[in-house]
Amino acid sequence: MYVSPIREPLIRGEKDYSQVTKDILAPMAGKPTRYWYMGITLSSAALLFGAWATFMTMYYGIGTWGLNKTVGWGWDITNFVWWVGIGHAGTFISAILLLFRQKWRTSINRSAEAMTLIAVACAGFFPLIHMGRLLLGFFIFPYPNTRALWVNFNSPLLWDVFAISTYLLVSLIFWYVGLIPDLGTVRDKATTKIRKAIYGFLSFGWTGSVKQWSRHETVSLILAGLAAPLVLSVHTIVSFDFATSVIPGWHTTIFPPYFVSGAVFSGFAMVLTLLIVARKALGLEEYITVNHIESMNKVIILTGSIVGIAYITEFFMAWYSGVEYEQYAFLNRAFGPYAWAYWIMMTCNVVTPQLFWFKKIRTSVVATFIISIFVNIGMWFERFVIVVTSLHRDFLPSSWVMYKPSLVEVGLYVGTLGLFFTLFLLFIRVFPVIAIAEVKSVLKSTGSFKKTGHHE
Amino acid sequence: MNKSYITAYYTDDDDLLKGIRQLKEKGVEIIDVMTPFPVHGLDKAIGLRRSRLSRVAFWGGTIGALIGFFFQAWVFTKAYPLNFGGKPYLSVPSFMPVAFEMAVLFAAFSIVFAYLIYFKLTPGAKPVIHDERSTDDRFLVVVKAGEPGESASIEKALSEAGAEGIKLKA
Amino acid sequence: MENITFKLTKKLKTIGFVMVAIGLLALAYGFIAGLGGDRIVANLHLNSFYFTSLGLIGMFFVAVHAISESGWQVSMQRVGEAMSLFIPIGGIIMLLVFVFGGMHHLFEWTHTEHLDEILLGKVAYLNQPFFYVRFAVFFAGWTVLAWMIRKTSRELDINGDIKYFNKLRKYSAFYVVFLAVSSVVSSWDWLMSIDAHWFSTLYGWYVFSSMLVTGFSVIVIFTYILKRMGYMQHVNDEHIHDMGKYMFALSIFWAYLWFSQYMLIWYANIPEETIYFYERIKHFDTIFYWNLIVNFAIPFLLLMTRNSKRVSSVVIPVAVIIFIGHWMDLYQLIMPGAVGYEAAGIGFLEIGVTIGFTGLFMLVTFFGLSKVPLVPKNHPFYEESLHYHTNY
Repeated sequence: MYVSPIREPLIRGEKDYSQVTKDILAPMAGKPTRYWYMGITLSSAALLFGAWATFMTMYYGIGTWGLNKTVGWGWDITNFVWWVGIGHAGTFISAILLLFRQKWRTSINRSAEAMTLIAVACAGFFPLIHMGRLLLGFFIFPYPNTRALWVNFNSPLLWDVFAISTYLLVSLIFWYVGLIPDLGTVRDKATTKIRKAIYGFLSFGWTGSVKQWSRHETVSLILAGLAAPLVLSVHTIVSFDFATSVIPGWHTTIFPPYFVSGAVFSGFAMVLTLLIVARKALGLEEYITVNHIESMNKVIILTGSIVGIAYITEFFMAWYSGVEYEQYAFLNRAFGPYAWAYWIMMTCNVVTPQLFWFKKIRTSVVATFIISIFVNIGMWFERFVIVVTSLHRDFLPSSWVMYKPSLVEVGLYVGTLGLFFTLFLLFIRVFPVIAIAEVKSVLKSTGSFKKTGHHE
Repeated sequence: MNKSYITAYYTDDDDLLKGIRQLKEKGVEIIDVMTPFPVHGLDKAIGLRRSRLSRVAFWGGTIGALIGFFFQAWVFTKAYPLNFGGKPYLSVPSFMPVAFEMAVLFAAFSIVFAYLIYFKLTPGAKPVIHDERSTDDRFLVVVKAGEPGESASIEKALSEAGAEGIKLKA
Repeated sequence: MENITFKLTKKLKTIGFVMVAIGLLALAYGFIAGLGGDRIVANLHLNSFYFTSLGLIGMFFVAVHAISESGWQVSMQRVGEAMSLFIPIGGIIMLLVFVFGGMHHLFEWTHTEHLDEILLGKVAYLNQPFFYVRFAVFFAGWTVLAWMIRKTSRELDINGDIKYFNKLRKYSAFYVVFLAVSSVVSSWDWLMSIDAHWFSTLYGWYVFSSMLVTGFSVIVIFTYILKRMGYMQHVNDEHIHDMGKYMFALSIFWAYLWFSQYMLIWYANIPEETIYFYERIKHFDTIFYWNLIVNFAIPFLLLMTRNSKRVSSVVIPVAVIIFIGHWMDLYQLIMPGAVGYEAAGIGFLEIGVTIGFTGLFMLVTFFGLSKVPLVPKNHPFYEESLHYHTNY
C-alpha cells in the first residue's frame, strides 16, 4: 500500500522484527525494578485501606457513609460513573480506531484495553457495595427463584447490569483473542521450562498459520464492529440512570452522547497518565512516541470540546425551557454551595484541554501529563456535580441538606485506585504491554525502515 | 501415503510473498505458512476463501436480540405483569437496551467460540511448532515432500524461490 | 489518460432547468390552489434548510478528512467542495422567505402581541433582531470559511507546496469548530423554535446527524453520476466501500440519537415534553414510523454485508433512499408545528418544490465541478487515494 512520504513514521529507530519482539518483551523479563516495587507497595497499601472500608460497610452497613435521606447517591455513584468512563478508552482505541484505520492505535491498544478491564471491574464494585450485601449481588440477575419474581426490566439500573457485564465480557474476549498470538511469542521465547509451560497453556496452542491469522483478522474486525456500538451503549445506559428520571439537572436528552464523549475524554486522559509514565519506565519511548501522544491529545480536544458544548447547551436549555426547577438546578450548580466543584469541573474539562490547540503544548510530554491529570480530576468532579448538586436541594426546601463523604467512602475510592494500579502493575509484568504482532504488521508501512515506492 | 514434508523459512514478508507465488507456479504443494504477524495478501496468494465468520456473528446476534426481547416481553406480559410508572406491560422502548446488549453478547461469543473451536485453540493445546522463531521474525513455509524421489527437486525449487534453512522432515 | 476537467453539458443544464421549472410551477400551483401561506412557506423553508445542510456537509467532508490527515478520499473531495457552493444560495432563499412574510407563518414567537408566559420568558433569545444577527453570522461564517478552503485547495493544486496543505488544515479546523457550534444553534433557531414551547438538549446533534448521513449519501450519488459520465475512473470499489461504511454507521448513529431523545422523553413522561411526540404519533403516524424504517432499518439491513457496501447497485439506491428518508425526517420536524395536521400533506407542492431545489442544487454543484480540475493532483495524499486498497 502506498504511503505518502510526508507522513511521519509511527515507530522510531531502525528496527527489524526480532528487535521489536525483544524490546516489547524486555519489561517482562528479569527482576522488577525498584520503582515497580515502590509502586506496588503504594498501591497495595491503598488496596488495604479499601479492604478496611469494605469491611466496615459490610459489617455496619452503609450507615457508615455520609449519605442521608435527601442525597441517596454520593461518592459511590460518582466513582462508578468515573470508572466506567475511564473504561471507555481501551475499547474505543481497539474498536473504533481500528474501524477508522488509525494505525497508531497498535502501540497503545493492548495496555489501554487492560486498563479498560480493570477500570470496569473497579466500577462494578460500587453499585454492588451500595446494595449493602455483597454476597447477595447475584439478585440483580434474572434467574428463576423461589420468590417467583423477575428483575425489573423497565429499570435503567437493570439495563446497567446487562450493559456493564456485556461490556466486561466482550472487552475481555476481545483483549484475550488479541493476546493469543503474542502469548505464542512469549511461549516460544521463554527460557525456563515453567514459563514455557504457563505461556504454552495460555497461548491456546497458537501456531500463526496463515489460516489462523486470516480468520484472526476477521474475528478482530467483527468484534471491533460489535464493540464500537457497545462502547457507545454502555455510557449511554449509564446516562439513562440519571436521564430517565424527572430530577432537574438529570432529565435532559443530551445526556447519552454527552456521557459517551465525556467517557472517552476521561478514558484517554487516564491512558495518557499511565502510558506517559509506563513508556519511560519500561523503555518503550520508541514505540509510544510523541506522535502517539499528540494523536491522543487530538482526541482529547475533540471529546473535551464536545463535552464543553454539552455543558453550555444544558445551561442554555435550562433557561430556555422556562421550567423554574430546571433553571434553579443550574443556578444552584454554578453559584450554590457546591459552586467550587462546578468551577473545578469547568476549568479542568473545558479550559485546560483547549490548550492542546497549540502544537507546542500537545507535543510536550510534561504538559500533556499535567493536563491529563487535570482532566481526570475534572471528570470526577463532573460526575460529583451531576450526582450531588441535583439531589441535595430537591423540590422541598425543608429537606435541603449538604452531603459530605465519610472516611469509609474515601476508603472505598482509594481502595479502587489501589486495585487499579496493583492490577496494572501486575499486568505489565505478566503480559506484553504492546501488541507485538500488530506493531510488526504496520512496521513496514509506517516504521522507519519503510520502503519507498509501493508494493501491493 | 507419504507423510514427509519440507520446512523452509524466509526472513522478510515481501520475499515470502514473492516466493509463495513462485512455488505455486512450479506446482509445489504448500501445506501451511507460519508467520509472526498477518501478512497482507498472503491469504489470497495461498488461495484461502473469504471467511464466513460474519454469518456466525449475524445469526448469533439475531438469536441474542430475539431472546433478549421476548424474554422481557414474556416476563412482563405473562409471567408476572407489574405496572411500572403507568407504562404499558409491553413497553417496547424500555426493552431495547437489554435486547441490544444481548445481541452484542451473543454475536461476540458465538464468533469467538466458533473461531477457537474451529482451530482447536484451547487452553493447554499442544501444537506442532516447526520453528520457534516463526512467532518472532521468521516466515515459515511447510510444503509436501511428495514421493521419495521428488523431494530433491522440491528442495531445489524452494531454494530457487529464495527460501532458507530447508529441512526434510518425516 | 482520463479527462480531468468536467464539462457542464447542455443536456445536464436542460435537465437542471426543467427541474427548477417544475419547482416554480409547483410553487405557482400552491398559490393558485390556495394551499395556504403556512404550507407554502414551510415547504420553501424545509428545502432551503435541507439543501443548505447538504452544502455544509459537503464542505465538512473535505474539512474533517483534512484535519484527520486521511488520504483515501482526496480524489473525491472536489465533489464536496462543489456542493458547498450552494451554501450562500440556500441562505439567500431562506432569507427571502423570512423577509417576505415567512417569519410569521413559521414562528409562533414572532407574534409578539400575544405571547404567553413561557414564550415571554424566551424573548431575550427568540426575538427578530437577534434572530437575524445569528442568521447573518452563520451564513457569513460558512460562506467565507468554505470559500477560503476552496481557494486554498485550489492553490495547493497549482503549487503543491506543503505550506498550503497546512493552511488547508488550519481553515478546516476553523470550519469544523464553527460548524459544530453553528449547526446546533441554527437548528434551534430554524427548526426547534417552530415548536416554540418545546425544548430538547439533544435536538441540535440529532439534526446534525441527519444532515451528516444525507450529505455523505449525496456525495456518493454525485460521484457515481460523474463516474457514469466517464469521469473519475479512479474511484473504485474501495472508495465506494468506505462511503458505504459511512452511510451504514451514520444511519445507526442517527437511529441511536433518535432513540435516545424519544426514549428519554417517553420514559420521564413530562407533559410539556411528550406533547411533541404525541402530536406526531397521533397525526403524523405514517411518516413518524416510516421515518425509522427508511432511515434506519433499510440502510442497516441492506448495507450490513461487506459485499453490499462495495457495489454501486446497492449503495446508490440506498443513498437515494436516505436522501428521501431524511427529507421526510425534516418534514416531520417542521410540519406539525408550522402547518398543523389539518393543512399539512404531501402533494404536488411538496414534491415539485423539492424537485426544483434538487435541480438547482445539481446545477450549482455541476457548475462548481466544471470550474476546477476534477482531481486535486498536487494534494500530498492524492497518490494514496489513487492506490487505495485495504483489507477491510
